Amino acid sequence: MTSIDVRDLTKEYGGRRAVDGLTFSVRPGRVTGFLGPNGAGKSTTFRLLLGLDRPTAGTATIGGDAYTRLREPLRRVGALLDARAAHGSRTARGHLLALAASNRIPARRVDTVLEETGLATVARQRVRTYSLGMRQRLGIAAALLGDPEAVLLDEPANGLDPEGIVWIRTLLRRLADEGRTVLVSSHLMGETAAFADHLLILGRGRLLADTPVRDFIHTRVRPQVRIRTTDPAALAELLARHGHDASREEDGAWTVRHARVEDLGRLMSEAGVPVLELTAREATLEEAYFDLTASEAEFTAPRQEV
Amino acid sequence: MPFIPVLHAEWIKIRTLRSQLGALAAVLVATAGFSTLAAADVDDADPLFSVFFGISFGQIAAIAFGTTAVSTEFRGGALRLTLAAVPDRGRWFAAKATAIALPALAVGLCTGFVSLLVGRAVLGASAPGWAEGVRGAVGCGVHLTLMALFAAGVAAVLRSGVATLSVLIPFLLIVSFVVGDLSGSVADFLPDRAGQVALHSTWDGALGPWSGLGVTALWTAAALAAGAWSVRRRDA
Repeated sequence: MTSIDVRDLTKEYGGRRAVDGLTFSVRPGRVTGFLGPNGAGKSTTFRLLLGLDRPTAGTATIGGDAYTRLREPLRRVGALLDARAAHGSRTARGHLLALAASNRIPARRVDTVLEETGLATVARQRVRTYSLGMRQRLGIAAALLGDPEAVLLDEPANGLDPEGIVWIRTLLRRLADEGRTVLVSSHLMGETAAFADHLLILGRGRLLADTPVRDFIHTRVRPQVRIRTTDPAALAELLARHGHDASREEDGAWTVRHARVEDLGRLMSEAGVPVLELTAREATLEEAYFDLTASEAEFTAPRQEV
Repeated sequence: MPFIPVLHAEWIKIRTLRSQLGALAAVLVATAGFSTLAAADVDDADPLFSVFFGISFGQIAAIAFGTTAVSTEFRGGALRLTLAAVPDRGRWFAAKATAIALPALAVGLCTGFVSLLVGRAVLGASAPGWAEGVRGAVGCGVHLTLMALFAAGVAAVLRSGVATLSVLIPFLLIVSFVVGDLSGSVADFLPDRAGQVALHSTWDGALGPWSGLGVTALWTAAALAAGAWSVRRRDA
C-alpha cells in the first residue's frame, strides 16, 4: 500500500516560510482533502512531494521512497499541478503520447485515459482550442496515465462546469474505493466536504487540522436558530432566563447559537411568545473553516492518527 | 531510469510541434536558397563559401529550433510535468539535447550536400572541388547542429525563448557581421565565426576548418553544461 508521509517539511523562499514544519500522512483507500486559502502552501507542498522543489528541511516520501528515487514514477504516482502544462500547439493525444513514452507506458493507455476523461472525440484537436475545463480534464488524464497507486490533484475542480464537478467527485470516489491514495487540494470548504473523507487544513504553511470530515463538521459546525417575533422584549427575557447565547440582527431577527429548533419552539410556545419565523441554520461549514484559518495563529495542529 | 524511453519522449515532443518541424525545414530552405542566390552572383569571393553563403540565415533557423525545443518546457509549468515523469534531471537534459542534435545533424548534413550540389551546378567552372566541397558539407551539418545545441544550452539558463532569441540573433546579425571581417582578431573565436572556417577554401586566421569547429564545440559544451547545471540546481 502506498501512503504519502510528510515529516517536518519546511520550505523557505527568501526568508518567507511557504511551508512550515508540516507533518502528516495520507492513507490509501480514502479521499483526503487538502484545504487552505490561496497562498497557504498547498501547491508548494505538492511540488516538494514531487521532488520539483527542494525542501529547506524535512522529508516527503511516497510509499517510503523520495519521489526522485522512483523508477518510472508515473506508474506509481499521478499528479495534476497546472492545467496549462500542455502546449497549445500539440494535440491532447500527442501531449499524452510523449508523457507515456518517457515511462514506457503503452500507447493504448493514452486512448484509455482519453476515453475515461471524456476527451476521446477531441483528442486530435490542438489543446489551444480547449476550454479551461477540457484542459483540466487533460491534466487529470495525464495523472491517470500510469494507472498509479497514488493520485495528487491540485485544484482539479478549477474551471469545471457543474457536470464536470459531479464527474470529478465520482472519479475521486472510485479511485479511493479501488484502494488508491487520493490527495486533492482546494480552497473551497463546501466543495471539499462534498467529496473528501478526511481533511488536512493548511494556513500560512502550517497544519491547522488533520481530521475526518465527519468529525470536523461535528465539532466545529455549531447549529444556530433564527427567530422573528412580534414581541422582542418577551423573547429576549425568555432566552436570557434559559441561558441562551442570542444576539439581535440588523433586520430585527434573533440568532441563537448552540440551539435547536425543537427546544426553542417548545419554549416559546409554553411562554406564549408569538412566532413569525423559526429556522434552523446549518450552513456554517464554510464559516467554521473561515474561523479556523482566520485565527490560525492561536492554533496548534491536533495531530490525529487514524 | 533508462535513457532510450526518455529520448523517445523528447523526440515525440519535437515531432508533434509544427513550429519545430518548420524550423528544421527552414534550416534547409534558407541555407540552400540564399546559397544559390549568392552563387549566381559570384565575383571574387571564396569559391567554397559562395556555395554555403546561406548558412548565415540557416543558422538562425537552427538556433530557433534549439531554443524552442527547450523554451517550450518553461511555459505554463510544462517542465514540472516533464520532471514529474523524469525526476533524473541530468538524464532528462541529456535526452533533450540528443533529441535536438540528431534531427539537427540529419537536416544539417542534408542541407550541406544539397547546397553543395546546387552550388556546383550553378557555379560551373569556378565550382570548388569535391574534396573541399564534402568537407564544407559535413562542416555545414556539424556547425548547424552545434548552433542548435548552443541555443538550447542558453535557453535552459535563461528559461525563456524570447530572451534567448533576443540575445543570440542580434549577436549573430550585428556583432558577428560587423566585427567578422576583422580577421585575425578575437572575432575568429566567436561561436558562429569559428565553425564557419570549415566552409571556406582559404583562411588566414589562427583557426583551420577542424580546429574552428572544435572551438564552436567548446562554446556549445560550455552552454550545455551551464544549462544542465541550471536545470539540476534550480527549483522547477
